[in-house]
Amino acid sequence: MNAPRTVWLIATREVRQRLRSRLFVGATVILSVLLTTLASLPAVLGVFDPAGPSEGPDDEEVETLRLGVIGELTGTDRAVVEAAVGAVEVVPLSDVEAARAALEATGPERVTAVVVPGERVLTAPSPSLFDLGPAAAGRIGEALALAELLDADPDRVGEVLARPSLPVEQVGEVAPAEAQARLAIAYVGVAFLFAVLIMYASMIINGVIEEKGSRVVELLVATVPVRWLMTGKLLGLGIVGFLQTLTLFTPALLVLVVTAGDRIPAGVGGLGVAIAGWFVVGYALYAVIAAGLGSLVSRPEEAQAVLTPANVLMIGGYLVGFLAINVPTSAFAVAASFVPFSAPYAMLVRQTLADPAWWEVALSALLTLGTAAALTVVAARIYEGGILRTGARVRLSEAWRAG
Amino acid sequence: MLVLDQLERSFGGVVALAGLDLRVAPGELCGFVGPNGAGKTTAMRCAVGVTTPDAGTVTWDGAVIDLERRRRIGYMPEERGLYPRMPVLEQLVYLARLHGLSAAAAAANAAAWIERLGLADRADSAVEELSLGNQQRVQLAAALVHDPALPLLGEPVSGLDPLAVDVMAEVLLERARAGVAVVFSSHQLELVEGLCETVAVVNAGRVVLRGDVRSLQRTGDRRLRVEVAGHAMWWTSLPPGTEVVARRDGEVTVALADGVDPAEVIAVARRAGALLHVRLEQPRLSELFRDAVDQRVGR
Repeated sequence: MNAPRTVWLIATREVRQRLRSRLFVGATVILSVLLTTLASLPAVLGVFDPAGPSEGPDDEEVETLRLGVIGELTGTDRAVVEAAVGAVEVVPLSDVEAARAALEATGPERVTAVVVPGERVLTAPSPSLFDLGPAAAGRIGEALALAELLDADPDRVGEVLARPSLPVEQVGEVAPAEAQARLAIAYVGVAFLFAVLIMYASMIINGVIEEKGSRVVELLVATVPVRWLMTGKLLGLGIVGFLQTLTLFTPALLVLVVTAGDRIPAGVGGLGVAIAGWFVVGYALYAVIAAGLGSLVSRPEEAQAVLTPANVLMIGGYLVGFLAINVPTSAFAVAASFVPFSAPYAMLVRQTLADPAWWEVALSALLTLGTAAALTVVAARIYEGGILRTGARVRLSEAWRAG
Repeated sequence: MLVLDQLERSFGGVVALAGLDLRVAPGELCGFVGPNGAGKTTAMRCAVGVTTPDAGTVTWDGAVIDLERRRRIGYMPEERGLYPRMPVLEQLVYLARLHGLSAAAAAANAAAWIERLGLADRADSAVEELSLGNQQRVQLAAALVHDPALPLLGEPVSGLDPLAVDVMAEVLLERARAGVAVVFSSHQLELVEGLCETVAVVNAGRVVLRGDVRSLQRTGDRRLRVEVAGHAMWWTSLPPGTEVVARRDGEVTVALADGVDPAEVIAVARRAGALLHVRLEQPRLSELFRDAVDQRVGR
């Protein structure tokens, strides 16, 4: 029997063994139900209803808002706007180009919205989840329509009432709803990636310890090369991970699409594929590390201690990715997206928020997979040296020499 | 022909194999015995490729044991181990397929072995739910399920009840008669004596005694067992070439080197008192074993 068939045989055994565990299947189903329930909560509570509780001005104290104006803002206009969004600092701007520059600026020159009196309100893509720009622009539009009503000639009241808000217009390429959705995806994607990588690293180490602890491994290595054994195990657990992730999230996503499909902007779906892709790449990298380390110990209680180096790398990568969300176009984010241990997180963030070139994504994935392949050789040698030594924990150097 | 040639292996300064040589011919049922720590397990591990020797080679029919050949070995590790949560039948099918059998052949063989070893009603139980003895039976089945061309069994009888031992003995003889070389290690020397044609005694990493069990018994020091009435310590003045190797319930066992006349010893005993019984025997395997491994005997 050749290598691929043997590896596949080993992998399918791993899959069957996990699926046989009632605890594993039960926990997955319960989690899936929980997630689906969470996903349907907004629809049930009416959060998506336009007249629902999420609308209406909030009473939070707002800092002085920089408001760009092309043309003149009347006293009434300003009074009504300030009544709606708090104190504003008026920044005169010459034309739409200047408005765009001011809206897209970072730092203190930035304006939250630009008013073209009597015409429209301009705003910019939201730079962060906590930015109030788009929401403020909507309220400013409503306020200006109201101001127009106050100044209006009684003959025009009907016309003004028919238009309860000045149109709010997006300057720049990303629609605010999509920007919000992308930010949410970046946060959720990075956190999700971290959670599943940690979970499957732990599952791998326990799988290795099970074979070592029950000593069945001696029978196995007498029959198949250790490398095949390791590859089959990692492949099998990877398939389990993929199936479990699908089971966990598909029902919840379906519920979201059905209840709020119109709110999910186009183009966001492709990011789901990116998350799945980076899960595969990140799994390949961290799985070989976990397998190599797992072969050093024989008892489950030692698993977490020996896994520490892998955990440090995973947590480090996660933190780097999390930081990159705030500065997705910075040199830091770009560099991090090519360092194998942070690449799955950082490149996912860039793909979500900064639109890197396709070759950058491909290069980053290749670098990470190349590192995984190089580490496979190291891990397989440690695995070979460690897997037959039951009892006390094996030192890394001993396993290396014995491998 | 399985050939272990000048195997050497040490683990951090502890020598496990110190130039071990062993040849096992097709159709030979070879008992592999030795005290604890003699190197039996390491030698077997080298043969299946689980351990790499520091020096020396392992060949089978003149070729290095590659993957294809390893698949045809039926290995039963002395350190027992199976997947605890995997059902018996499924586990045997899996192991048979890992050894290269097709799915259908693996299923047929696994079912046949389960039947033969009396595990039919436990086929779908997880291994961890079985009694220790039944787990041992499964372990034996795991070593034989792919019809190995070279069974290498570490302590296959330990933990087995007499019925299972009978089945195992029958199976091993059957394999040997079919022209297969069978090696099994055991501490149960009576079993090895009754079952094996040949034996290899290992001590301190070397084979110290090797050959046909019957001819070894012929060439080994004969044993004279004598019991004399009374309490005289007659055995303290024996002729040269003799040695007292056991005393039990008044019976004294004397090993006689080549050329020593038993009558000389009997004469000494008679002077001490009436002879209750006298028996001249070939040595038992356990006695040959002790002679071979006992440093004081100087072999």
